[in-house]
Amino acid sequence: MKQKKLGSLLVVMLAAVLVLGACSSNGSSGGSSDKDTITVWTMTPELEDFVKEYEDESGVKVEVQAIPWDNAHDKLLTAVASGKGPDVLQIGTTWVAEFAEAGTFLDLTDYIDEYPNFNPDNFYESAVETTKYDGQTIGIPWYVDTRVLYYRTDLLEEVGYPEGPETWEDVKDAATQLAARGDDQYGIEIPQVDQNFPFMLAWENGWQYEEGEGAANFEKTGFKEGVELHHTFFEEGMAQLTEGKQLYQAFSDGSKPMFFSGPWEINSINEQIPELEGQWDVHVMPEAENNKSMIGGAHWTVFNNTEKVDEALDFINWMADPETQVSWYDTVTELPANMEAWEDPELADDDKISTFGKQLESTQAVPVIPEFETMAQELIDTLEQINRNDADIDKALEEYRNQVSSILSK
Amino acid sequence: MNKSKFNITPFLFIGPAVLLLFVFSFAPILVSLGISFTDMNLSGLANWSQINFVGFDNFVQLFQDEKFLQAMGNTFFYVIIGVPLAVGSSLLIAVLLNFFNNWVSSTFRVVYYVPSITNIVAIAVVWSFLYNQEYGLFNYLLSLINVDSVPWLEEPVVARLSLILLAVWKSNGVSMLIFLAALQSIPKMYYEAADIDGANRIQKFFKITLPSMGFATFFVTVTTLIGWLQFFEEPFVMTNGGPLNGTNSMALFIYQEGFQYSQFGYGAAASFVLFAIVIVATLVQFKLRKTD
Amino acid sequence: MELKNKFERAVVLFILFAGGLLVSLPFIWMILSSFKNDREVLSIPPTLFPENPTFEHYIELFQNLNFGVYLINTLIIVLFAMLGLLLNTMAGYGFGKFDFRFKEGWFMIVLVTMMIPGQVTMIPTYLILNEMGLTNTMAGIILPGLIAAFNIFLIRQFMVTIPDDLIEAARLDGAGEFYIFFKLIIPLAKPILAVQVILTFIASWNSFLWPLIVANDESLYTLSVGLALLQDENVTNYGLQMAGSAFMVVPIVVIFMIFQKYIVEGFNVSGIK
Repeated sequence: MKQKKLGSLLVVMLAAVLVLGACSSNGSSGGSSDKDTITVWTMTPELEDFVKEYEDESGVKVEVQAIPWDNAHDKLLTAVASGKGPDVLQIGTTWVAEFAEAGTFLDLTDYIDEYPNFNPDNFYESAVETTKYDGQTIGIPWYVDTRVLYYRTDLLEEVGYPEGPETWEDVKDAATQLAARGDDQYGIEIPQVDQNFPFMLAWENGWQYEEGEGAANFEKTGFKEGVELHHTFFEEGMAQLTEGKQLYQAFSDGSKPMFFSGPWEINSINEQIPELEGQWDVHVMPEAENNKSMIGGAHWTVFNNTEKVDEALDFINWMADPETQVSWYDTVTELPANMEAWEDPELADDDKISTFGKQLESTQAVPVIPEFETMAQELIDTLEQINRNDADIDKALEEYRNQVSSILSK
Repeated sequence: MNKSKFNITPFLFIGPAVLLLFVFSFAPILVSLGISFTDMNLSGLANWSQINFVGFDNFVQLFQDEKFLQAMGNTFFYVIIGVPLAVGSSLLIAVLLNFFNNWVSSTFRVVYYVPSITNIVAIAVVWSFLYNQEYGLFNYLLSLINVDSVPWLEEPVVARLSLILLAVWKSNGVSMLIFLAALQSIPKMYYEAADIDGANRIQKFFKITLPSMGFATFFVTVTTLIGWLQFFEEPFVMTNGGPLNGTNSMALFIYQEGFQYSQFGYGAAASFVLFAIVIVATLVQFKLRKTD
Repeated sequence: MELKNKFERAVVLFILFAGGLLVSLPFIWMILSSFKNDREVLSIPPTLFPENPTFEHYIELFQNLNFGVYLINTLIIVLFAMLGLLLNTMAGYGFGKFDFRFKEGWFMIVLVTMMIPGQVTMIPTYLILNEMGLTNTMAGIILPGLIAAFNIFLIRQFMVTIPDDLIEAARLDGAGEFYIFFKLIIPLAKPILAVQVILTFIASWNSFLWPLIVANDESLYTLSVGLALLQDENVTNYGLQMAGSAFMVVPIVVIFMIFQKYIVEGFNVSGIK
């Protein structure tokens, strides 16, 4: 009896060692070792099927590894730490600065002329801006993303804006009337945790961030106006400060007839609140001095120690092609970064998408500096102090500038 | 047991586990300790020559960082209220379940364990609804008895208490199982003897039940304390540390400052402050247990 | 302790019932929501029973998840976790029932590994795996999670309650140390081992972070990682998320049902003596 038990235990352990050994033997390092294979990391799993066309055309095998968004940062950190990464890597615009500073990407400057689709003139200027870090070009734009105003046409018509509000004054006027409809009725949903939104308000009031100026940037005109604009909506009850209904419910029952969001929301509204069809539309950002929205999205980059630079670049060249970009839009409704793709009837004839196209001509990228995320989060905290804790705006901003200078001096 | 000469047997038992733990858990902690005295960030991670030794700078800075001090205060708040609640409620459930020895206990063992295996997104959705100030179920029930609406997640102190309630709810399952296993190991004859002496139920609970499961209570208390000092998931999914940083915990602070923003040196330093607190709390418990 | 009469029984049952309902509500909601359409899932106030029950999320799940590979990987991890459980049990016994030099110190090392948030050691652990050439291997996925201080500590606490006389008696009978461990100790520790099996199964069945970080190839992904990807493709689709979680939870409930009865089967140490 005793022997039997111990014996079976030994067998299990032996089997374990063998399995582990077998699994270990097929490990490879840094990209794929196979000559005609490139590895691609993406946060969009749909890419896996999408690259088949390229594989057929080029004869190169593309091994796509999809990574869930929430854990992509961890995964990239370990790749940077060990130097073992893919050949081609998708990177979100907001992560460009910190990973570029760490030397994660190959500098593509010298290759720009070699591939026709890399020409910066093909892309939205503000998208190209975020591919540049410290004099290098680290990526080629893949898709872009921006924010516009979603509104209920029927309700806005009742308060005199059937085509949607043009300016922030219009928005405030409409929102005041709409909020006056009664208890639990609001004019608009104002984002409180979106890191880009307060910057958009500042840009629209004529503010600009200059890298050399540091904390002094936030003393320049326009910034305070943006913060005040944000605060007005809560102070005057046009927007709800606390967590209310789920947004689509509030949009569909009319208690929040306006909100800001990105392109994915179009499909999502069509699917989840189909009965609202014909009662809503999108409008470019309201104007103060201008109507700049943020530009986000993702770029294609090449991992610094890949051995397959040419193959990697050829793949990116294919992804950047206007035709590929249109069919990618078809697949997942992500907006093409290539401007020529926008001439395709698929996009040009769609009114709502065209509004995004129009907005993209008036966009700005958040500063490409590694400290941006920390700075933006501090700003969100500062706005919370102002909106929820009735902090004095001037004092809160002074405190914010101190925070920023300590962040930048780290 | 033979204490005078070296005996290899115990090392055969603990060896494999300790070796693996040393390589994959303990050694990384030593590395992190080293990192806490540097200014390592993402560039440093990629290129080690860019890492500078900064001595105790990170630690000095931490104790000047208002956000960190606030997170530390919040964490103590969580621990002081949460630990007794969590240990007490799981013990209570286990004792109640132990009264039965039929379908009731086997069914409710599953039922009370279920929060531990419920998807965190489902938890967040349902509890967000329960806690919603205007449309939530809790405030609706309160309105029926004419109590004003409570800002469950909208006011710092209330939000902390709300998260404690949620965490106690979620964490009861495992401790309950351990208490149940311990209750089962108490010999029945102890109670029979007490019955003969005419002891009442409360006397039996404090004189027999509690002392007999001291080993389990100790385990649950120590691990619950460690768990609550590292309170993370609830504020992470429910409030992300807000409102006004009022629900931020040390573990969440470490995650945000150190890893979202890639300030590894600073994050590691913060985690060793947390570590020091955990180790002191644990040693105190071991000492108290010894004097028992 | 026992309840004296019907009335007390009813009171306790009522408390258990009310508490149980409160406690399992989100779980019930999760299961029922997996049959709701996208809109209904997020409506406020939430509905409990689906208005128009649909299986679309489950169909989507089974069509799009690369089950074969992910399931095998997950099962391999579970299998090795059970081996790890054996090592944990051995270590718990070693710490609980033997005296040796620096015992307290060794045990402190074990406990210390519980005291630091996991993210802090993630990168160093990865670098160690990298130095050992274990990145992108199954071994690299399994090893970091094989031993858990929590388990060793729990088993040690229970081992302490086993009377020394019992073990001494077995030794006098000429039993070997491992024979004692497998034939005497393990049966005695059944209740706590049942708890351990449940906890270990859940942790390994849900393996997520290490498979994702160590793998440079989707062929090493687990079910959890696959699900996370599927959810990324359908960000606003809460029904699918709930279907995914409900699907993942079924084996856990089964394992729980099987092993929970050992928890109360009980061991009566004094009776053996």
